[in-house]
Amino acid sequence: MIADALVIEKGVTGRDQWATVSAEHIREVLSALKADGYRLLVFLTCVDHLIDASPEFPARFEIVYQLRDLEKLAEIRVRTFIGGESPRIDSVHDIFPPANWEERETYDMFGIVFTNHPGLTRILMPDDWVGHPLRRDYPVGGEVVEFSEEHQTWQTAPDEA
Amino acid sequence: MATIDSPGVTVTRTGEQGAFGGELLTVNFGPHHPSTHGVLRLIVDLDGEQIKRVQPVIGYLHTGIEKQMEALRWQQGVVVTDRHDYLSPPINNLAYALAVEKLMGVEVPPRARALRVIMSELTRLSSHLVWMGTSGLELGAMSMLMYCFREREQIMDLNEEISGFRMHTSYIRPGGVFADATPRFLEMLDQFVREMPGHIDEYEDLLTMNPIWRARTIGIGRLPAEDAKVLGATGPMLRGSGVAWDLRKSMPYSGYESYDFEVAVSNDCDCYGRYLVRIKEMREAVKILRQALDGLPEGPVNVDDRKMLPPPREELETSMEAVIHHFKLFTEGYTVPAGDAYVAVESGRGENGCYIVSDGTHKPRRVKFRSASFVNLQALERMALNHMVADMIAIIGTADAVLGDVDR
Repeated sequence: MIADALVIEKGVTGRDQWATVSAEHIREVLSALKADGYRLLVFLTCVDHLIDASPEFPARFEIVYQLRDLEKLAEIRVRTFIGGESPRIDSVHDIFPPANWEERETYDMFGIVFTNHPGLTRILMPDDWVGHPLRRDYPVGGEVVEFSEEHQTWQTAPDEA
Repeated sequence: MATIDSPGVTVTRTGEQGAFGGELLTVNFGPHHPSTHGVLRLIVDLDGEQIKRVQPVIGYLHTGIEKQMEALRWQQGVVVTDRHDYLSPPINNLAYALAVEKLMGVEVPPRARALRVIMSELTRLSSHLVWMGTSGLELGAMSMLMYCFREREQIMDLNEEISGFRMHTSYIRPGGVFADATPRFLEMLDQFVREMPGHIDEYEDLLTMNPIWRARTIGIGRLPAEDAKVLGATGPMLRGSGVAWDLRKSMPYSGYESYDFEVAVSNDCDCYGRYLVRIKEMREAVKILRQALDGLPEGPVNVDDRKMLPPPREELETSMEAVIHHFKLFTEGYTVPAGDAYVAVESGRGENGCYIVSDGTHKPRRVKFRSASFVNLQALERMALNHMVADMIAIIGTADAVLGDVDR
C-alpha cells in the first residue's frame, strides 16, 4: 500500500478507487504499489484543467496512472498535479515498460516532460509540429495546408521544435 | 543507432559489425507496405536477414479523436468513438457508453444489455474474420480472404438491418441502444448462428494443419507469458502466451457473467498459438450469440429517462413536456456529474478502455481511449528479435494492430 504520509487525498468515484499523491514521490508510490501486486499499468494520461480554479485541482495538469492487480482484480487510479510553464515529472518507464510510449504520447499531446525517459520524442504528431494539441488552449480550427505560404510561418525547423 | 537522414532513403549502413562478418543494415518498412495492416512504418536493423532492432514509427493515421470529443456533446461523441478501432465499432461504443453510464449512475434494461452482448460478439467475429483473411493472404493462403469476407459480409448485413449502417453503426449509446432488434434481424442472426460453426470448420480445414501455414507460424514471434505480462499485452496476444485473462470473465460487464463460455488460451506463445486462440474465440462467440438469442429478454431497450434520451415520436404531438425535453436534448444535450470514470471492455484485440473526465457540463473535459493495439505494438520488438525479415509479416499479422486504434 502507499504510505499514508505520501497520500494527499483519497476516495472513490463511481466505484473507482483513487489516491492523489505529490509529483515528487510518484516513483516511490508506483514502485510500492507494484510490489503490492498492482503489476499492470492500464494507462497513463494527462488531463488539462486550464480554466478550472476550484480547490479540487491545485495545478493545471493532472497526470493519471491507472493500475490493476490481476490476481485480486483490484484497480487504483493514482493522480498527481503539476503546473508551470514547462511541467515536469519523473518517468516510470523502468517500473512499468508500457509507460514508455504512453509517456511519449503525453509529451506529444500535452508537453509534459518526463525526466529520465530514454527517448522522449513526438510519437503521433510529425516531428516538426509546433504546440501540443490536446492542451485546452491549443487553437481548434483548420489545419494549415502543407507546403503553402502560411505553412512556413506555422512550422519551425525540426531542430528548433 | 542508425538514422534515416533524408526522406526517400530506405537503406542505411550502420557501420556496426554483425555476427556473420557483414555490416548491420537499417531498412525502412512501410508505411505503405501492404502487409502492415494500415500505415505502420518500421525501421528495422538487419544483420544479414536477421532482425536485430525494430523501431515502430506511428502516427500516420492520427485523427485527433480525443480532441474532437472535447468539442462534442456527450451523446454526439458516440459517432466519433466508432472510428478509432474501425474493425470493432460497437465495442468502442460500448466502452464509451458504459463509462458515461458509470458516471451518471445509470443502469440499462436487460434487453439492452443482451443486445449489446450480441453486437459485441458479432463484432468480435467480424474483426477476427478480417484478421484471419488478411493474415492468411499475406502468408500464402489466398483463398482465406474470400472465405472470411463471405461471412463478414453477412455480419455487415446484420449491422445494416439493426442500425442502418454497415460499418460505423453507432448502435450502442449511453442509456441503451439505438433501436430494438427487428424480427428480421433475429431471423437472420438465428440463421447465421446455425451456419457459422460449419464455416469455422472450413477455416480450420484450410489452415490448422496446412503445412505452409504451420511452417510460417509455429515457433515464430515467441512471446513468453512473463514478457507479455510485463509489456502490458492484452487480448489474444496475452492469451496466446498462456495467460487466461479475459475481461469478460475476470471483470464482467454488460451481463457477461450470465453467459456460459470458455476463455481461449494457448500455451504455444507463438504466432500459431495466437491463431488458435482466435479460432477458439470465434467458436465461443458463436456460443454466446446462441445463448443471447435464445434468452433475449423482453422489455424496453433504453432507460426511461427523458433528461437523457429523446421522447418517442408519437408523444411529441400530444405532450408539451415532451417537446421541451426534445428541444433541450437537441440544443444543449444532457449533463454528466463532475468526476472521472474508467471502463474497460474486451475487444477483438484486447483491453479497449475509455477514461472520461467530466466537469459537470454537457461536454466532456477529457476523453482518453486506452487502445489495445497501441500497447500491444510495443511488444513487437520483443517478438521479432532474431527472426528472419520475412517472418516480420507473420508477427505483425498476428499482433493484429489496427492502425486507427494505435494512432486514434
